[in-house]
Amino acid sequence: MPDNETVTDLGLDEYKYDFVTDEKPLFKAEKGLSEELVRQISAHKDEPEWMLEFRLKALETFYSKPMPNWGGDLSTLNLDEIYFYLKPQDHMERSWDDVPENIKQTFERLGIPEAERKILAGVGAQFESEMVYHSLKKEWEEQGIIFESIEDGLRKYPELFREHFATIVPPQDNKYAALNSAVWSGGSFVCIPAGVKVEIPLQAYFRVNAEQMGQFERTLIICEEGSQAHYIEGCTAPVYTTESFHSGVIEIVVKKNARFRYTTIQNWSNNMYNLVTQRAMVHENANMEWVDGNLGSKLTMKYPSCYLVGERAHGEILSIAYAGDGQHQDTGGKVVHAAPNTTSQIVSKSISKGTGRSTYRGLCKVYDGAINSKSNVECDALLLNDTSRTDTYPYIEIDENQSSIGHEASVSKVGEEQLFYLMSRGLSEEQAMTMVVRGFIEPIAKELPLEYAIELNRLIELEMEGSVG
Amino acid sequence: MSEVTTITEPGAAIDAQGSLERWIQSRAEPELLASRRREGWADWLAEPMPTRRMEEWRYTDISGLDPEAYSPVSTTGDRARSKEDLPGPVREVLDSDRKRSAVFIQHNGTVEHVRVDPDLAERGVVYAPIDEIAGSHPEILERFLFRSDVAQSERKLWALHTAMLSGGYVLYVPKNVALPHPVHALRYVDEAGGLVSSHSLIIAESGAEITCIDEYLSPDLDAESLSLNGVEIFGAENAVVRYLALQHYGRGVKHFSMQHANTGRDSTLNVFNVTLGADLARCDVSAHLLGPGSESEMLALWFGDRDQRFDHHTLQNHAAPHARSDLLFKGALAGQSHSVFRGLIRVAEGAQLTDAYQTNRNLLLSDKAKAVALPNLEIEADDVRCSHGATVGQVDETQLFYLMSRGLSRPEAERLLVLGFFDEVLSRVPLEGTRERIREAIELKIGLSR
Repeated sequence: MPDNETVTDLGLDEYKYDFVTDEKPLFKAEKGLSEELVRQISAHKDEPEWMLEFRLKALETFYSKPMPNWGGDLSTLNLDEIYFYLKPQDHMERSWDDVPENIKQTFERLGIPEAERKILAGVGAQFESEMVYHSLKKEWEEQGIIFESIEDGLRKYPELFREHFATIVPPQDNKYAALNSAVWSGGSFVCIPAGVKVEIPLQAYFRVNAEQMGQFERTLIICEEGSQAHYIEGCTAPVYTTESFHSGVIEIVVKKNARFRYTTIQNWSNNMYNLVTQRAMVHENANMEWVDGNLGSKLTMKYPSCYLVGERAHGEILSIAYAGDGQHQDTGGKVVHAAPNTTSQIVSKSISKGTGRSTYRGLCKVYDGAINSKSNVECDALLLNDTSRTDTYPYIEIDENQSSIGHEASVSKVGEEQLFYLMSRGLSEEQAMTMVVRGFIEPIAKELPLEYAIELNRLIELEMEGSVG
Repeated sequence: MSEVTTITEPGAAIDAQGSLERWIQSRAEPELLASRRREGWADWLAEPMPTRRMEEWRYTDISGLDPEAYSPVSTTGDRARSKEDLPGPVREVLDSDRKRSAVFIQHNGTVEHVRVDPDLAERGVVYAPIDEIAGSHPEILERFLFRSDVAQSERKLWALHTAMLSGGYVLYVPKNVALPHPVHALRYVDEAGGLVSSHSLIIAESGAEITCIDEYLSPDLDAESLSLNGVEIFGAENAVVRYLALQHYGRGVKHFSMQHANTGRDSTLNVFNVTLGADLARCDVSAHLLGPGSESEMLALWFGDRDQRFDHHTLQNHAAPHARSDLLFKGALAGQSHSVFRGLIRVAEGAQLTDAYQTNRNLLLSDKAKAVALPNLEIEADDVRCSHGATVGQVDETQLFYLMSRGLSRPEAERLLVLGFFDEVLSRVPLEGTRERIREAIELKIGLSR
C-alpha cells in the first residue's frame, strides 16, 4: 500500500457526461414554487379536477412540514432558484425517427440507442420533464402490459391510476414526497397483468438537462397477481455550475404471488441534490427486490423500502454507493414486517474516496403479530483515503418476540495483503486496487443486467484511473 | 437513626433563581460548589428540553419532566453512628461477606458512612463526600469536577444534575497505587417524590489500579422520584479503572445516569452497567479515548419486566490513534417492558489504527416486549477496523424443550436460559466477588418477576 498521498486522485473530477444540449423548451415556468405554478402545471397537463386538488393539498403539506433535521446538508439548497416545470414537446413521440436531433445526440452519447437496439425493450426516455420517446414492444401490447408515461397513464386508465396513486407514498409521508406530489411531472406508469411474465427488462432512461431544472418524476407500478417483471431506471446529467435538484417518488404494488425487481443506477452530476422516496407494498407470497446504485450527485438521500404486508412476503434491497470528492451518499433501505412469516434482506456496500462521505441509514421494523419474521442486514464500507468518511445508522425496532433479526456492519480499508498478493502476480498497483474495489462491489454488479454491469465496471475503472502514484 | 435536622425546607420549590439561591445558602457549601450550581442552573434554563424530534431522544419522551414536581432529598446533619442506624437493605449488602478497600453509604441526601482502608489512606488514597473535598482538596474538584465533554443531547439533564447536586463522592488514587479490593458505594433512596442528584468522581493517576462499584437501591416508592446521576472517570497514563454501576431501584423511580470516562495513554477502562430497577432508566455511557494506545471495554446487562423502560446510549469516542474499544450490551425483556440501545462508534480524523467493535443482543421473552437497537458508526479515518452487530430474537425453543424434558417447568427453564444468555457478559468480569454480586442481583430480579 502506498502512503495516502498517492491515492488522493481517484476523482470523479472529470465528469464524463459533461456536455449540454442546446435545448429549446416550448414552455418554461418561472423559477421557484407557488400555488400559481402548481395550477399552471395542472392546467398544462389538462388534468382532472381531483389531481389539481391533490397537488394543492400536497403543496400545503410541503409548506407545513419542517425540514428534515437528519441526513445530508441541505442548507445550500435554494428552492427559489429552481425551475419546477419544463416541457420540451407537446406531444408523445412514437418512433425513434421523430425524436428531435439534439435530444437524440444527448441520448447517443449516453448509449441509449444501443440499449434500445440490444434490449429490444420499451424505452420510456425522459428528457426534461416529460416522456419524449416511448416505444412499446408489440408482443407486450398483446400481453396487455401497460407501459406509459405517467401523464398518459392518468389520461388513459383514470380508474386504475386513481385506485393506486399516492396510496403507497402519500404526500404526508415526508417533506419532499409532498413537494413531488405538488409539482410532479414525467415518470412511468406500468401495469403488469395477472400471470404475465416479462422476460426482458423494461427500461426508462432519462436525464435532467436545463440548468437548475428540478425534476420531479413520479412512477407508479402495479404488478397484478402472479406477474413477474424487471424495471430498470438509469439516469445521468451534465455538469452545471449551480445546484440542481431531483426529487422523485416511486410507488410499487406487488400483489399476491408476483415478483418484481426495480433497478436504478444513478449517476447524476456532482452538483445534484437527489432526494427520492421509493417504496413497494408487497403482498402475500410476493417478492420485491430493489437494486440501487448511487454513483453521482452532490447529495443523495434515498432509502428504497419494502412494506411486507402479506404473509410470506419477501423483500430484498441491494445497495451500492460510491462517494467521491465532495459527494455525500446518504442511502440505505427500509423493511417493514407487518405480516407473519415475512423475510427480508438488506446488503449495502459503500466506497468513500477523497473527501467523499457515504452513509448507510436503514430501518428494520417488525410489528407486533408479524410472527416468525426474519431479517438480515449487512453493511460493508470501504475507505480509500484518510479524508474519506463513512457512517452507519441502522434502526432496528422490534415489537414481536417470535422473530429473528440481525444486523452487521464492518468498515475497512483496502487490505495491504490483498494488494501485495495481486502485485506479486504482476499487476500494477492501480490494477490491483481496481480489482479489489471491483471485487468488493461484485455481489451487486452480478445482479445487474450485463450492459449495466459492464457500465458499472467501466465507471469504477474510470474512477480508479490515476488513483495510485 | 439520629435525630433528623432537615436543612432543606420540605417541598422547597426549585423553580426560580431566588429559591435556588436560598437553597444553595442553606447548604452552607464552599463557594466552588455553589458557583458550579449557579452555572448549572443557568445552563438548565438556557438549554432546550429534549424532544422526540432529537435523534437521541427519539424513543424516550421526557418533555413533561418538571423538576418542580420533586423536592430535593433531605440532608441531615448527622452520620449514622452504628450499623443499626442504616436502612435494612443497605445492611444486607454490607453483611455479605466481601472484601472492600473502601465503603461509602449515602441515604437520600445524607452521607451516612465513609471508610477507607487506613493503609491506603496513608498512601494518599482519598475517598470522601464531594462537599468535604471542596474544603480539603479544592484543587481536585477545580481540575476534574464537571470537566467531561458532554454531548449536546445530554446537556439539559447534566445541567440540572449540576445545579441540584445532592451528595456523591470523590475517589482519588495516587500514582502506582493498586487497590487490592473494590471500592463500594451504596446509595439508598426512600423519600418518595424526592430528587436525588448524586455524583461519582473517580481519578486514577498514572499506573493506579482500581475497581469501583456504584450500587443504587430503593424500596418501591409510591410517589415518583427522580434520580440524576453523574459519573466522571479520569484514568491517567497506564491506569486501570474497572467501574460497575448496579442499579436495582424499586418502582416509582426515574433514573438518568450520565457516565463519562476519559482514558490517558495506554490506560485500560472497563465500564459495566447492570440495569434492573426503576420505571424508566436511561444510561448515557461515553468512553472518550483521548490517549493513544488506550483500551476501553463497555459491558451492560438489563432485565426488564412489567412496564419498565430501559434506554442505553453509548459513545465510543476515538480521538486518539492506536486505541481499541469493545462493547457488549445484552438485554432480556419480559412483560410489556421496552428497551432502546443506541450506540455510536466515532473515529475522528487522524485516529488511525483504531480497532472498535460493538455488539448488542436482545432477547424478547414476551409478545408484548419491545426492543429497539441502533448501532451507529461515524468514521473519518481510513486505517481502522470497525464492526458492529445487533440482533433481536427469542429463547430457543429446542433448548427450552431440552430443559423441560429434564423436568424443569417452563419458567424455570426460561430463567436458566436467560442466565446463560447473560453469562457471556458476566464471564468478562475478572473479580469473582463482583461477578457474584451481579449474579445475585439478577437472580433476585428474575425470581421476583415470576
